[in-house]
Amino acid sequence: MNRNKVSFRMIQYELRNVAGNPFVHIFGVGFPILMSIIITKAVASEAPDGINIGEIVTSIFLGFGAIIPLATILMGYSSTCSQDIEKGIPLRMQLFGFSEKYTIINRLIAEFIYMTFAFVIYFIVGINALDIVRPVISGVIIYLICLYVFAAALFILAHAIANLVKKFGLTYMISMLFYFGVMILSGMMGITIDKLPKGVRFISNLLPSTYLNKDIYTVWVGKSYNYVPMLQSYIFFFAISGILVFLMIYRSRRNLH
Amino acid sequence: MLLTINNLNVKYGKTTALNIVTPITIEKGDRIGVIGSNGAGKTTLIKSLLGIVNYTGSIDSTITPADMAVHMQFNEYTDSMAVKHIMEAVLQTRIKKNAKLQELISFFEFETCLNKKYKVLSGGQKQRFTIILVMMQEAPLTFYDEVSSGLDFETRQKLVEKLVSWYKDKEASLCVISHYYEELEQLANKLLILDQGNVIAYGYKDELFKKYCGRAILIIDNNEKNELLTRKYPKLAAPNNLIVLPCNEEEVEAEITTLLIKNNINYKRSNNDIEMIFINAKKEFASGGVINE
Repeated sequence: MNRNKVSFRMIQYELRNVAGNPFVHIFGVGFPILMSIIITKAVASEAPDGINIGEIVTSIFLGFGAIIPLATILMGYSSTCSQDIEKGIPLRMQLFGFSEKYTIINRLIAEFIYMTFAFVIYFIVGINALDIVRPVISGVIIYLICLYVFAAALFILAHAIANLVKKFGLTYMISMLFYFGVMILSGMMGITIDKLPKGVRFISNLLPSTYLNKDIYTVWVGKSYNYVPMLQSYIFFFAISGILVFLMIYRSRRNLH
Repeated sequence: MLLTINNLNVKYGKTTALNIVTPITIEKGDRIGVIGSNGAGKTTLIKSLLGIVNYTGSIDSTITPADMAVHMQFNEYTDSMAVKHIMEAVLQTRIKKNAKLQELISFFEFETCLNKKYKVLSGGQKQRFTIILVMMQEAPLTFYDEVSSGLDFETRQKLVEKLVSWYKDKEASLCVISHYYEELEQLANKLLILDQGNVIAYGYKDELFKKYCGRAILIIDNNEKNELLTRKYPKLAAPNNLIVLPCNEEEVEAEITTLLIKNNINYKRSNNDIEMIFINAKKEFASGGVINE
């Protein structure tokens, strides 16, 4: 029996693993819906006359979409992965003939399926509860590409953190700090980026979520947009994740006696 | 020949965990009991054969680690789903559609556990769960590392009986690590005795018994009366509470048993006691004996 392949049964298994983590539902589905509705309502009610409410609401709603990969993948995957490592499950699965490579691929697919499910719910609720501005097709495609590429970088980061730390408690703490830190630095927690201190703003500009929060409306409605800073933030983010993965591999080689 | 281990050396940091100098060959159909105190290198041996620790030396094998199945000392699974889903994922099959799997589930009386999560299973159920997964692999070589540790006497007995019965007419080779000698008496035909990373003895159980204990032994309680009564007979190394008398000739055995019966002393006769093989092989090795094949 060939266990080293992308298989429906393993994706199903990994999907059950993802869905078995209650925090993923709370922070990945419930929290973004709640936050986007509360904040958009609050901002819209305080907006001065003449302001385009639709733009503000859509911008906040799209920005909060970035919370979904942060919660489902960064927090969700890193916590279950570290928990598995702590219990020795990856080794057990390896001994059953599952290669690490295919386990990761199956898990990535499962994570993306769950994230897609969370997005569908988020958009169904958002479209029905909020006045979302109608997008252009290219805007939707670019928005989704941005989110899924961000999610891929977060998956790499989560895998590296879990494998470097190896302890569930510490991994969970790091991912929670990262989750709320990114939300604050990306201007999702009430403080806009331009109000942040200069040094902190510099860090903000290195995060893809910052552009998903403040600029994505421009892309959504098909206006012209300079993608260079956003692309740079993605490159930076992948580079950081890559370095951590490199450290992870280096450490695991050193630890193998 | 299934595999041969040559000059295998495993180090954890600066400590040598395992050092096999004389080649060890595992043949098809062998049932090897691996014994030794904690830290003897038993689990390290399995890990080496599975290729999950670095080693020097060579393992010449007709099978790859992927063809080996293993029941590790500690087996954990996710708690986020019922065990039947884990079972179906690991075995890449559906329980409903797999007659062999159904047979194993029924053989191990595991039906009522299928919808439970791994964390709520009892110790015995957890062991049986991994055993089912391992057996379904139908590997030419299967390792059982302390499969019954932590289980109560009755559960342990039942589990070993199941293992013996399952493998009775099968060709698979087994490598069973255990601290319970009575388990190995049922499961193993060969013994590999390890101590502090060294191989003390390896070979067929009965041959090792002859080598270290003789034709047969008589075991009695160690007390002043028995000591006095048997003082003229040679004795083997034994636990402090026992006296072990080797009987290399039938006449000697008859003489001793007559003496014991006359004095109303309880005794046990054995020609395959693994504990005595272990104790005496270890003693001989410590006194400068050589590794045995």
